[in-house]
Amino acid sequence: MSSGPKKRNFQIEAFKHKVVVDPKYADKTWRILEHAIHEIYNHNASGLSFEELYRNAYNMVLHKFGEKLYSGLVSTMTFHLHTMSKSIEAAHGASFLEELNMKWNDHTKALQMIRDILMYMDRTFIPSTHKTAVHELGLNLWRDYVIHSSKIQPRLLNTLLDLILRERTGEVINRGLMRNIIKMLMDLGPSVYQEDFEKPFLEVSAEFYRAESLEFIECSDCGDYLKKAERRLNEEIERVSHYLDAKTEVKITNVVEKEMIANHMPRLVHMENSGLVKMLLDDKFEDLGRIYNLFRRVADGLSTIRDVMTSHIRDTGKQLVTDPEKSKNPVEFVDTLLDKRDKYDRIISLAFSNDKTFQNALNASFEYFINLNPRSPEYISLFVDDKLRKGLKGEKEEDIEIILDKVMMLFRYLQEKDVFEKYYKQHLAKRLLSGKTVSDDAERSLIIKLKTECGYQFTSKLEGMFTDMKTSQDTMQGFYAAHAAELGNGPTLVVQVLTTGSWPTQSSITCNLPAELSALCEKFRSYYLGTHTGRRLSWQTNMGTADLRATFANGQKYELNVSTYQMCVLMLFNDTDSLNYREIEQATEIPSSDLKRCLQSLACVKGKNVLQKEPMSKDIGEDDAFSVNDKFTSKLRKVKIGTVVAQKETEPEKQETRQRVEEDRKPQIEAAIVRIMKSRRVLDHNNIIAEVTKQLQSRFLANPGEIKKRIESLIERDFLERDDSDRRLYRYLA
Amino acid sequence: MGVQKDRVRFNVGGRVFETTATTLANAGRNSLFGAMFDENWDLQSNAGTTTTEHFIDRNPDCFAVLLDLLRTGELYIPSNVPEKLLYREALFYGLLDHVRAAKWGPFDGNMLLLARSIRGLAPGDGTAIRASPDGGCCVAHGSMVHIYDWMLEEHHPISLDYQRVNDAVWVNLENIVISACERLGRDEGGIGLFSSLTGELRYKFRVSHENQVKSYTGGALSFNSDYKLFSSCKGRSNEYGIGVWDQVTGKQVDFFYEPAGWSLGEADKLQWLHGTNCLLVATLFPRKDNCYISLLDFRDKSMVWLWSDIGAPLTDERRVRDAIAMEETHSVCVVNEYEDLGFMDLRRSVGSVRWSSRSRLMKGKMVDEPCYPKLALHEGQLFSSMNDSISVFSGPDWVLTSRLRNSYGGSICDFSIGGDRLFSLHSEENVFNVWETRPSPVM
Repeated sequence: MSSGPKKRNFQIEAFKHKVVVDPKYADKTWRILEHAIHEIYNHNASGLSFEELYRNAYNMVLHKFGEKLYSGLVSTMTFHLHTMSKSIEAAHGASFLEELNMKWNDHTKALQMIRDILMYMDRTFIPSTHKTAVHELGLNLWRDYVIHSSKIQPRLLNTLLDLILRERTGEVINRGLMRNIIKMLMDLGPSVYQEDFEKPFLEVSAEFYRAESLEFIECSDCGDYLKKAERRLNEEIERVSHYLDAKTEVKITNVVEKEMIANHMPRLVHMENSGLVKMLLDDKFEDLGRIYNLFRRVADGLSTIRDVMTSHIRDTGKQLVTDPEKSKNPVEFVDTLLDKRDKYDRIISLAFSNDKTFQNALNASFEYFINLNPRSPEYISLFVDDKLRKGLKGEKEEDIEIILDKVMMLFRYLQEKDVFEKYYKQHLAKRLLSGKTVSDDAERSLIIKLKTECGYQFTSKLEGMFTDMKTSQDTMQGFYAAHAAELGNGPTLVVQVLTTGSWPTQSSITCNLPAELSALCEKFRSYYLGTHTGRRLSWQTNMGTADLRATFANGQKYELNVSTYQMCVLMLFNDTDSLNYREIEQATEIPSSDLKRCLQSLACVKGKNVLQKEPMSKDIGEDDAFSVNDKFTSKLRKVKIGTVVAQKETEPEKQETRQRVEEDRKPQIEAAIVRIMKSRRVLDHNNIIAEVTKQLQSRFLANPGEIKKRIESLIERDFLERDDSDRRLYRYLA
Repeated sequence: MGVQKDRVRFNVGGRVFETTATTLANAGRNSLFGAMFDENWDLQSNAGTTTTEHFIDRNPDCFAVLLDLLRTGELYIPSNVPEKLLYREALFYGLLDHVRAAKWGPFDGNMLLLARSIRGLAPGDGTAIRASPDGGCCVAHGSMVHIYDWMLEEHHPISLDYQRVNDAVWVNLENIVISACERLGRDEGGIGLFSSLTGELRYKFRVSHENQVKSYTGGALSFNSDYKLFSSCKGRSNEYGIGVWDQVTGKQVDFFYEPAGWSLGEADKLQWLHGTNCLLVATLFPRKDNCYISLLDFRDKSMVWLWSDIGAPLTDERRVRDAIAMEETHSVCVVNEYEDLGFMDLRRSVGSVRWSSRSRLMKGKMVDEPCYPKLALHEGQLFSSMNDSISVFSGPDWVLTSRLRNSYGGSICDFSIGGDRLFSLHSEENVFNVWETRPSPVM
């Protein structure tokens, strides 16, 4: 053969002996698999060979019959689900759910086995064709042909809702079955559970609780109603934990909260004879705790309770502080306040879980009404005086601390803390000078508390008083050590040297002391001035005390404990038997008001009348005559003769204190204004007022009118000036 | 006693194997063995009696390898068993994942071995290579993207109707996002999501400005764990910037317009920083005359960090060719033409490069047709490609610890790390190399 173009044109023939696939291969194989699926659904799987089925399914996919396998699966499964659906529909009454549950179990088991056989298809054919995986397909078909069948869907819902209603009315239902059915709905996907059960369930529940709450509220009081609401709420939470989706809990509790609580809040709180006020009055901790816990769940719930509590505390508090009866006894007044605070503290800690907002409301309410009575600072100081003077004798250290802590609580509410300071200073001075402080520790502890509350400035003078007491003791020791020899058997003098300014001393005229004493006093003066240079001593005879030994005509001996004034008067009677008022006044030079009080206590108090008066009357007249009461007797050897003093301040005294306080405030306000202006240079009127008020808050509530006056005064003294263009602006002049 | 209760006997294609149910349980429920011994199928009850034999009509050699894998967790393929055959059998038993997991070890840049070289079909330069999460990859060539699974079998390629592909990212195993050039006169180009299994287009990511859909050229791509997709976009009329889409819905959710005097719309590289929730955008020479690197914060639409070489003396040593942000050290690493690394501090709001001139020796030894260096970062190791080799830098001071080199294929134009493998794409021959971690020694 010659070479030619044709010869090169040889071809390699395709391999003709094609593997002939049996044309019926797919059908045959599918029939085997179909039969197996039927057997699986008929609980007849034990005769099947898994390996064979797996291989057949594999081969079908391998030979590109995946589509046939998949569609065959869909139709076979659909066929069985139709049958199942029929049998579920046919179930009567109560057996309906059981039948549904049984068939569901059958289906899921079958589905698992089918998936096992078709595992290869699931892994290869389905992802590349974006089809639904076998397991999900089985769930979707079950949903479409069983759960959403027109004869099953409404019946299922009604059965479930009916069972829940029956459980709500006290019947016992098969919770295990319920759980299985609900679990099935959840397995079918969140949307199935929500649409086919949860939504209608919430609607029906809302209706149920709406009706029930109306019925309850008509026939029960607030406490009982809340008990019922709480029980219902717990029941629903328990129901969710037993057989519903955990996510339903919030939704169903919201329904109960809204229907049973939120919709009836005002009515419940203000219910007559059982509402919140009644609970507060009767200390119903349990009920209060319940109302708190329930109302906390709804919007505005707590603020409703808080508002009612606040207005109740304010109203009762206002009554309390403005009640003139209560004001008569300051100790009782403060005791009542403390009791009231304890009561509400207990309520908040036991029932309101120490809610900060409630504590704040309580504090605000107390602050509001305590300051309604301008004498509150004085009363609180008197209360402390009472406790530190004698009341604490029997009390333990811890108790003192507790009481002082409580007092500090009240102190915090005071707006006029400087007024308190004024009174406290007076009372402390009296306690210290008369030696009636029972516990130095308690006194100091309170000072420390005040210091932490208001700062060093507030207590520096109070601390100064304590220092004076201490140095006085040392001074006296030094004095007696230096003069031991010459003093001998004379009267004993105890001097307390008080620093001017630290003590609430009034400049008073020194009375004439008896000769024995004035000599002694002179000695002390020269001793003291000898040891301290550049000081001045003046005697405060109005504040001292004396112990006298008296022998009466009948031979009876007594020790008399009297004030310095009283001593001066009594010493006059060593020389004569009878003196009239004017003679006494002349001899002693005691101010007349003090002298009158002093004589009153010596002559007019029954059982302590060491003097007798002519004429016998309660009041002291300018012409009255006095003589030693020889018939004086007393069961005690030591007789304490008090001075007739009003514990509470009298009206003019009060005015005076008030005035002093106002006077003291002026420099403080001015200092604040200057401090602020120094840093701000220019500020308008309203802002100055605001800042000054803020700065002084810890001491007192500054009056805007007063601040304005202080500003005017500072302008006059060229500390500030008004701006030329804007009259509301102030400028600081350096 | 001594007799194991759970003994199982198989007859596979005529050879008898005996094993235990315990060994088979290692296969997991989603395998033939898992299903076979599930209580539903009731086979376990007679498993104890050695008389019953389960027949499986498959290749016994492969079964032996796979059974050994289940026993030891290690894969040893004898030379007489082709890999492909083993994979097919593993797929039948549902053990393919086991094979993949045992085939190569966890990635370590200093322990790499060249595993395979794959020749492509198309000639010429490849644009990009991207590793898939499971050890497969895709190679962009002109208007085609070739997809390889972890067995390095090529799948249906993605063809973009003769538009040039600019970048590709694997969103997950099944989906790839590809950006391509716009074609004049047609509403084509832009960015599309493709199925990696079938190569079909799922949907396109559109850009609209003032409620009008515009055609555009998609550039560098990146995505974050929040299912957001970012792309550099170059519109027809000044719509330059970074587009942001929701991966799940495909809807555009944001657009960061390019500020005057800066470049975002033609970026070479986007990198999402998980720690700071910012996007690194790098536009480099020679795409533009100057380099622009910036960090974008999309929450308040601000550039929180930026660097550019505008105004700097432009010597070749100072030309930045690639950049990568390293969040652990708060820095950006850049590389020049000679594989010198430079670092910038991200904590200063304006960057400046600190070059570490390590490889001056390279100067003058350049090959005729160089590829620009590329950078990659993987678990504290920094990778940089240069000519035909890849350098691995480790430790806090980025010391050169390994160099991967394979003389065949010419310069490396791109490389990518993923699925515990490193893929390098070479420019001269149409070839890509696969590097895997060496198996650990027996003892």
